Amino acid sequence: MKRPLQVTLLVLSGLGLLHASLFTDLSLRFVKEGMRPMLVASGVLLLVLGVAEAWSHQKPAGEDGHDHEDTDAERHVDAHGHDHSTVPRIAWLLFLPALSLLFYAPPALGAYTAAREAPKAVTEQRYFDPLPATSPVPLTLTQFTSRVQQDHKRDIGGRSVRMTGFVTPAKGADGWYLTRIIFTCCAADAQSVKVRIHGAPALPADTWVTVTGTWHPGGKLGTSSAPAALDARTVKKVAKPVNAYTDALPLF
Amino acid sequence: MQKTDERAVGAVEPSTGADVAVAVPSARASAGGPRRDWPRHWPLLLGACALSGPALYVLSRWMEQPAMQAWRTVALAVTVQALPFLLLGTALSGAINAFVPARVFTRLLPRRPVLAVPVAGVAGVVLPGCECASVPVANSLIGRGVTPAAAFAFLLSAPAINPVVLTATAIAFPGHPEMVLARLLASLATAAVMGWLWLFLGRDTWLKPAVRHTGHQPEQSRLREFRRGFQHDFLHAGGFLVLGAMAAATFNVAVPRTVLDAFSGSPWLSVLFLAALAILLAVCSEADAFVAASLTGFSPVARLAFMVVGPMVDLKLIALQAGTFGRAFAVRFSTATTVVAILCSALIGGVLL
Repeated sequence: MKRPLQVTLLVLSGLGLLHASLFTDLSLRFVKEGMRPMLVASGVLLLVLGVAEAWSHQKPAGEDGHDHEDTDAERHVDAHGHDHSTVPRIAWLLFLPALSLLFYAPPALGAYTAAREAPKAVTEQRYFDPLPATSPVPLTLTQFTSRVQQDHKRDIGGRSVRMTGFVTPAKGADGWYLTRIIFTCCAADAQSVKVRIHGAPALPADTWVTVTGTWHPGGKLGTSSAPAALDARTVKKVAKPVNAYTDALPLF
Repeated sequence: MQKTDERAVGAVEPSTGADVAVAVPSARASAGGPRRDWPRHWPLLLGACALSGPALYVLSRWMEQPAMQAWRTVALAVTVQALPFLLLGTALSGAINAFVPARVFTRLLPRRPVLAVPVAGVAGVVLPGCECASVPVANSLIGRGVTPAAAFAFLLSAPAINPVVLTATAIAFPGHPEMVLARLLASLATAAVMGWLWLFLGRDTWLKPAVRHTGHQPEQSRLREFRRGFQHDFLHAGGFLVLGAMAAATFNVAVPRTVLDAFSGSPWLSVLFLAALAILLAVCSEADAFVAASLTGFSPVARLAFMVVGPMVDLKLIALQAGTFGRAFAVRFSTATTVVAILCSALIGGVLL
């Protein structure tokens, strides 16, 4: 790989990272919010590297001693040397993420991934605070699932609740899944939380909705035999949240 | 801009625009002379652009399918997540190469290689971050005269036993401190055993010759050496990172997690299966504890194996090692590490969990 191309690659990679983390929210489709400062720093570093490379390349030969060495010492591959002026062809692959971040970023993971994965296991919780008196109660999908399957006081039974997520079509005839995808490091370790919605027509996959309804009876409430399911009363389309990979409370 | 460049190079054969674009690397390699006269080929260039329009359209339609979108998201996520750590690692490696005299390491590490191996393994605590950072650092350590066995022990232990990863493990397994201890001990044991194995069985001929950095040359500026080494290592390792990320994304999308349940019944099969899963998924070492915690159907020993194998061997690491140390090395080393890591986690997990 020629040096001008190395400069292009470094600058494009730097710009791609900055574009995804500093100028837009693109990086939230791939990694955690907490990675942002590191991505910005990496982007700046890559830009600096690219500019430094371009600058040292542009300098007319003879202006300082190093450029003479550049042609003599650095191009020279000796027996145990490591030629720094050429970069193996594999580096071409770095153009893919750089250009993809800049011009052709894929969307956040959605219904396709959720439909193919078993739902995330809910962590065990012994004690539940009483549900607030407001109606409908805003809950996250995880909270709803653990209330239904673990709360021995069965507070959730008969209460009207409200949750937000995206639509994942179900294989069976009846109902669909209200879904959230969450991850701990990057989208490669994505897991899904699902609540089955009954009594409402399914919207197209990946539509973000807020659903209000009551628990769909089945099994024994407060044990793992109870299904995480909801009889929907209203289903309302909402805007996709900026950070789609959190199991957050509905906003309204 | 480089697109037009490629076209010009391949324009000798004007049949299709798509073909030319595919043949980029080889065309680029022979690009020496004709690159400068590209304006002469402008009618061909125009033709190539006209043909590549429909080709790009078909390609982008294919890329919009849900499976391809998920694949692109996962591949890009692995790359974006690892890039800062790779930069950190290559910067450290460049700095070690340009600024740290070789005598520092000979003074810090015990002179006898047999003792240097466990010391280097424990020293892995100081490099916080993902496994991508440790490959270039280990490479530059070898370049600075550290015995390869000790450098490999460091390479294996650093991503698994640093404080960030151990804290994540403690958070992922609340109320099970023995899991953190088992992970620490099993990872250290694997790193030490692999170092000793290299000492007695390893051959330097498996390492590719370019692995040895020249270090600081008296007549060159240190800062410049640092910058050039950093840049070279980053571009080189970055390419392999992308390759590994694409392989990991392929498995991530092609193998649904529901397949896992089929293997969770048998204790021995489940250990082997989760070890294989750790290699294929290439989850970063800071997150693999959470993934392991979510695999509730499996025995604790199998989950421990997942966390011990993952930071030491996975698709993107194999790609990175093949690029840095050579393919002959990567194949042998990764295979041996997998076996040793499974044995260590079975032994230590069997006692502690």
